[in-house]
Amino acid sequence: MRPLDATLLVLALTSPLLAQDPARDTDELLDLENVVIGVADRLAPSLVRIETFGGARRVLTDDSGLDRIGNLEPSKLDKEVLDALFAKIDPFELAELWTQLGLPPKSDGKPFEAEDLRQLGDRELDRLCRKYQVGRYDPAKAKEDDGKKPLGPLVQPGFLQAQGASTGLVISADGWIATSRFALNFDPSTILVTLADGRAFTARRAGEDTSRGIALLKIEAQDLPVPALADPKAAAVGQWAIVLGRTFAPTGRPTVQLGIVSATDRIFGRALQIDANTSPANYGGPVLDVQGRVLGLAVPLSPTGRDAGVDWYDSGIGFCATLGDVAPLLERQKRGETLHRAWLGVAVDPKHMGPGALLAGLAPGSPASKLGWLRGDLLTAIDGVPVRNSFHLQTLIGARLAGEKVAITTKRGDGEPASVEVMLAAVPAAERKEQTRSEESAQLPWDGDPPQKDGEKGQRR
Amino acid sequence: MNHVIATSLALALAPLAAQGSPYAFAERAPLTRLETLIDRTLPSLVKIHGASGLQNIEPYATGVIVSAEGHVLTLDLVMIQPGQTRIVLADGSVHLAELLPPEPRLGVRLLKFDPKATTLPIRPLEPAAELPETGRFVVSLGNAFRLAEFSEKLSACTGVSSGIATTGLRYRLADVAYEGRLLLTDAPNNPGHGGGALLTLDGRWVGLNARMVESTETNTLLSAAIPCADLRAYLDRWIRGIVPVPPPEAVADVSPGTHGIVLFDRGGRRSPPAYVERVEPGSPAESLGIRRDDLIVRIGDRTVRSCVEFHAVMSAHRAGATLRVTYKRGDEVLQGDLVLGASR
Repeated sequence: MRPLDATLLVLALTSPLLAQDPARDTDELLDLENVVIGVADRLAPSLVRIETFGGARRVLTDDSGLDRIGNLEPSKLDKEVLDALFAKIDPFELAELWTQLGLPPKSDGKPFEAEDLRQLGDRELDRLCRKYQVGRYDPAKAKEDDGKKPLGPLVQPGFLQAQGASTGLVISADGWIATSRFALNFDPSTILVTLADGRAFTARRAGEDTSRGIALLKIEAQDLPVPALADPKAAAVGQWAIVLGRTFAPTGRPTVQLGIVSATDRIFGRALQIDANTSPANYGGPVLDVQGRVLGLAVPLSPTGRDAGVDWYDSGIGFCATLGDVAPLLERQKRGETLHRAWLGVAVDPKHMGPGALLAGLAPGSPASKLGWLRGDLLTAIDGVPVRNSFHLQTLIGARLAGEKVAITTKRGDGEPASVEVMLAAVPAAERKEQTRSEESAQLPWDGDPPQKDGEKGQRR
Repeated sequence: MNHVIATSLALALAPLAAQGSPYAFAERAPLTRLETLIDRTLPSLVKIHGASGLQNIEPYATGVIVSAEGHVLTLDLVMIQPGQTRIVLADGSVHLAELLPPEPRLGVRLLKFDPKATTLPIRPLEPAAELPETGRFVVSLGNAFRLAEFSEKLSACTGVSSGIATTGLRYRLADVAYEGRLLLTDAPNNPGHGGGALLTLDGRWVGLNARMVESTETNTLLSAAIPCADLRAYLDRWIRGIVPVPPPEAVADVSPGTHGIVLFDRGGRRSPPAYVERVEPGSPAESLGIRRDDLIVRIGDRTVRSCVEFHAVMSAHRAGATLRVTYKRGDEVLQGDLVLGASR
């Protein structure tokens, strides 16, 4: 251990102890501010400023099709609407949808009737009514309903991103830079990385991890200073967390935000929650412990979607995507891979208390829809881990990445358990919400497609 | 038993008698640097109540006593109106404020009350000449959400000094540029907290809590304060009558210098990046070696993300000015000095 580390450690250990003795003049903040400044100055050379040029404003959305806890109740739709829809719907489409949703086959061999449509559930009926222009769907009414949706926990969603400077962290001496995906949301045609010493490089965009909000960039530089990583498993709730940024400090000492680790095990075990202010002013910047080791990167994250979470800026709810435990994933991103959170495509019955999760429906096109599962089947184990209840199923799937294979055990009625290997897919992004937001942002004067230079289109450089 | 009750009553009543408030909490004496600093500074801050009736605009703020003659510095808000602005001191006494001319560039204004009208000792704060060091702890004092009305203490929040924002600042709602620099902090700055004081742990008054300002870099609200270092000239002018020396007369030629760069600008709702369409022969850009298809990314230390930004930065410089231009050619980032020529 170097002398500086030892000093920092002693300060870090003694300060909270002093604070417990109210009779003493406890100026723990005076000790802590020197620790914070020491950490900021030590990390400054590993911080880069990221600026982007060109591209188009992207709309930040929630994901749809989460493995949800939700019951697909038979619809209470009016009979006339059902009849009208039944008259228009393609019978082959209905049969296919029926199978995909995991509805029990019509054992009596009778043809479909209008009343059968109720089994599809409101969500699918809503989609079909839109598709076939049947009375239930009134565009004006739908727009009105959108406005009535309850707001998120803290502030209204729909943050309008500025193409400002962002922060990145050197993770290898030969020029790999980790940053927040937020910095690249515009799909820029040019990415400029400026080191703390003022040298500027164009950066090549490599892969990203949408489940953690991280993206990788590569610059052609050598001998860059690489900071030490902390083991995120050793992080404790209540320990100090220091966040550094380059948006308002292009060179020299970075901007500093201080807080504590508020929770571990967030976003399916991918992030720490911190109460230090995080915002576009420090996204992509490192979150550090008092020894100056990197816990991870400040990123906007949300359980609901890959591009959500910016609404919570500076609110006391911030996320640190851990870095110390994802070395193999970073290697995959260096090869250009895009990693997504896994999706099975099931809805499970919240009224079922467990053990197991009771299937209430399948999302069409999902991995789960291709396995012959039926509504009412019980999911009992994933990779040998017994599923305790619906919430447990969500965490088991949510912690995985798309492309991973899992063995899922199911049970139908009193039958024998059956096991099947499933390749998990990527969570699809929400289409409907994207449209709504696009309509909103299209009205803003600065939002539009910028002219592309010849040869620039699609080029990530 | 009776003895205990009597003692408790005496203890409970002591602060009541002192404050004249029916709901004052007993407090132990301050111990730490932070506690002492807050305790010592609070009597130098005032609550300000102004003209109300305007929708969505809070008729309250905070102010800092800056002279023994009763000068109070606060934000120049709509609610500050002659004859309607009242100052509430730490002892709960109310005073009508006289309005002095504002400092429009930073959006602050001096008020004045009669210090003889109160028995409270007036302890003005001295504005610090230096900016606080990034990473130092700060404490922010103010009347967030008008939680204090009479003699109750203002709110104290702590955080660290986060850095300085210099450009691209604008007032929220009005979308008008804020023409100063701002001290960023992670101590929260809520409505009503504006006009309060930001101090470092060594007791220096370093900032006046700002109103709602956004950054064009982030599209987010900044928790920020106006540096006291930038307020000293205004305070000297209106408290001590020191008239600042006017800046030297602008040079006669006010037209921008020429550079010879013609950008690939097809217009549109969003101005495209500053790609070079062509370079005029014999121009400063040609001498520097700028070519067609180069992308101008920075002029001086200002990042240029669009043609509009390029023209805005260039038009602010006169003939003869030397500008460090950073531009991209292929994957290479190049730099060079552009000496602006005289306009023809």
